[in-house]
Amino acid sequence: MVSVKPSEHLTKLNSKDDFLAFREQARQKWDSVWNGSATVVSVGVGSSSIAKGALEVLEQVHQVGGDVIVREVSGNGAFWMEPWVEVKRPGAQPIVYGPLTVDDVAGVIAGDRNDLAVGVRGDAPEGDIRPLNEHHFFQHQNMLLTRNAGVIEPDSIEDAIARGAYDGYFKVLFEISQEEAIHEVTASNVRGRGGGGFPAGIKWESGRKATNSPKFIVCNSHEGEPNVYKDRHLHECDPHRVLEGILIACIACGAERGYNYLGGEYPLGLRRFRKAVADAERLGLIGKDVLGTGKNVAIRVRTGGGAYICGEASALMYSIMGVRGQPRTKPPRSVEEGLWKRPTVANNTETLANVPDIIVRGGDWYASLGTEKSTGTKLMTMQGPSKLHGVVEVEMGVTMNHILNDIYGGMREGYTFKGMQTGGASAGPITENAFERPIDFDSLTDIHGMLGSGGWVLFDEGVCAVDMARYLTAFSRYESCSKCVPCRLGNPALVEILDRIRFGRGSLEDLALIRRTSKHIIELSLCGLGQVAPVPLVAFLDVYEEEFRQHIVDGHCKTGTCPIAARPHVGADLATAAAD
Amino acid sequence: MVQSNHTHAPRPVPSPYTGRQDIDLDVVREMLSHFTYNDHEEAQELILSACQEINEHFGWVSPEAAEIVAEHLGTTTTRVFAILTFYADFRTEPRGHHHMLLCHGMSCYVMGSNKLVQTMKDTYGVADGETTADDQMSVQVANFCLGVCDRSPVVKIDDEYHGHVTPESLTELVNRAIEGKHSMQENEATHG
Ligand SMILES: Cc1cc2nc3c(=O)[nH]c(=O)nc-3n(C[C@H](O)[C@H](O)[C@H](O)COP(=O)(O)O)c2cc1C
Ligand code: SF4
Ligand code: FES
Repeated sequence: MVSVKPSEHLTKLNSKDDFLAFREQARQKWDSVWNGSATVVSVGVGSSSIAKGALEVLEQVHQVGGDVIVREVSGNGAFWMEPWVEVKRPGAQPIVYGPLTVDDVAGVIAGDRNDLAVGVRGDAPEGDIRPLNEHHFFQHQNMLLTRNAGVIEPDSIEDAIARGAYDGYFKVLFEISQEEAIHEVTASNVRGRGGGGFPAGIKWESGRKATNSPKFIVCNSHEGEPNVYKDRHLHECDPHRVLEGILIACIACGAERGYNYLGGEYPLGLRRFRKAVADAERLGLIGKDVLGTGKNVAIRVRTGGGAYICGEASALMYSIMGVRGQPRTKPPRSVEEGLWKRPTVANNTETLANVPDIIVRGGDWYASLGTEKSTGTKLMTMQGPSKLHGVVEVEMGVTMNHILNDIYGGMREGYTFKGMQTGGASAGPITENAFERPIDFDSLTDIHGMLGSGGWVLFDEGVCAVDMARYLTAFSRYESCSKCVPCRLGNPALVEILDRIRFGRGSLEDLALIRRTSKHIIELSLCGLGQVAPVPLVAFLDVYEEEFRQHIVDGHCKTGTCPIAARPHVGADLATAAAD
Repeated sequence: MVQSNHTHAPRPVPSPYTGRQDIDLDVVREMLSHFTYNDHEEAQELILSACQEINEHFGWVSPEAAEIVAEHLGTTTTRVFAILTFYADFRTEPRGHHHMLLCHGMSCYVMGSNKLVQTMKDTYGVADGETTADDQMSVQVANFCLGVCDRSPVVKIDDEYHGHVTPESLTELVNRAIEGKHSMQENEATHG
């Protein structure tokens, strides 16, 4: 097993007072770094910035040297400024520079490259450089889960503790009862961030009440959807927050072991999480008799192998148990019979990452954020030809107009808006007429839209609706676990129909056939994958029916994407001929 | 003087996989010796991780390696193979000397990754999971997001990411990788 070693200087804390003393030290260390006489240079290292050379930049920072403290922090969600370096000179606020190359590093550290400055990480300007929070990408965010992103070193448990990590855990260990902890989660009304939106408090309460033992907590960090990377971001920027969420769930539900299941798509997040676990174990926050309370908690990290279906909770548990990840029928529900047939509470990473703040600041505080039925903040990602990209955290209830235009800067030049795919491969596209709706778990469902895991995909007039519907259907076909017939055979049938249309051999009857076949798959499939697999296609058909008809009747794909476009534009004769 | 605020592990090294590899079974045994467990349940939980580690190191898992996994974790080779053939990450045949991860996540799709998939088929005769006839390049079409959507469409060849790839630049990248040249970073920097 790839072992990640804990930091050697850490020693076991045996009591409440030990923890408080350690926290005090960590805070002092934090203050001394930021108020000392050395320049502090931090490099944002995350999977997105590594792809753009952040490790080389970090290396260069080490090379340049001088009287500096070098820190490896995570990305802050703003892809467009990567790779970036933050320089804090004595007596001044930290200034962030980017995007930069290895050659810029020396100049940036020396302080003669203000042309590369993006902003000040602080409230006031430094000379001509404005605070980063005034940039439209950050201005509209409410960064709670991501407040440590790009600030702490994810590999340093001291940084995390100095900034409040494990305060919620401390509270459930020493100050409040299991019932009170669950009461806060229920009062917060935090709903599952894995897509379904099920209230976490209710699930926890069933978990706590389950009598069979041992019990388990499972953190679902699979994130196999092709449209989102928010859980990866959480692992990379603040692994201790995720871990603390799992630990709190363990104590509150009386579970003796917590699992974190990662899909294997993000090695850096995995490594940072493993480091977090190793350090927390060494400090005695995990293990036997945690901080002298007599409570035992163990954490296991498990990885999958790139099968999207393993995000479904029952399939995920099979995957942990070392078999093929194929969903099963319910009941029994996981809280009655989950992993190893024991009561198991499964939550998404982001759901659990919300918990520490809910415990520390109270459920009522949390419930005041967002909308009445969808409380709190939501991590969101944007894909496609928007001007800016990255992970943002906004309060529930903002509009798509706000997200796309105010935060991500709208469409990139040279592209014309066509639609916004929602809910990954589980829902349909929305168009501009839905742009003013407040977005929460329920607000888009009447138009086949879905907040889901918060991954938005912008697409432009250059993208063919038939081809995109095929892409989404083909995704479900590929990812089907093949256990049940409607999904196993139905999805390939849909792809086949779409290919007929794409190749100019479709008929108008195919449109009805699509709807009929889809209904079968949706109604008869065993699990959530099959039950929503045709939804994107049906929604595309609703919104862009004209374009489907053009393919069939005119034998024409206006974007030139489909193979039909390679044929001469012969009009309706071809379509009828092909249909015979 | 560079003070290090680091008292922790060194920076991450991405993807240890390099080149086409035969599987050294002694290395597999050594890897597995780190997989320790207390009971049969825990042993079963480690099957996937063990396969994952071998796959990451060598680029594939051979029947002999699967057998060692089965033996070490107290299960059958059939079960290990059931896993290897279910999860998309695993390969049961060696990869090429170079390996391409062609991102087909939604951002890359919208920005044209279909054309890249087509180019690999037309120019090199390889589809998802296949290796060129000369064993030089194997391709995995990623059904997830590589996390660099601002550079879509993206491919990762061996350890290097390339953004804003076009069918033309793709063939150039492939040819260069095969010739063993690694000067992509500059190429990348010229894009937004
Ligand atoms: C096909 C399929 C894929 C899923 N993928 C994920 C996933 O990647 N991450 C996740 O947290 N939940 C996923 N879910 C939802 C889980 O089954 C489960 O509802 C969720 O993890 C519960 O956590 P929550 O209540 O905190 O959202 C998926 C469901 C289905 C049907
Ligand atoms: S609906 Fe599809 S993914 Fe779900 S169990 Fe059936 S075949 Fe498997
Ligand atoms: S979809 Fe390809 S990098 Fe995100």
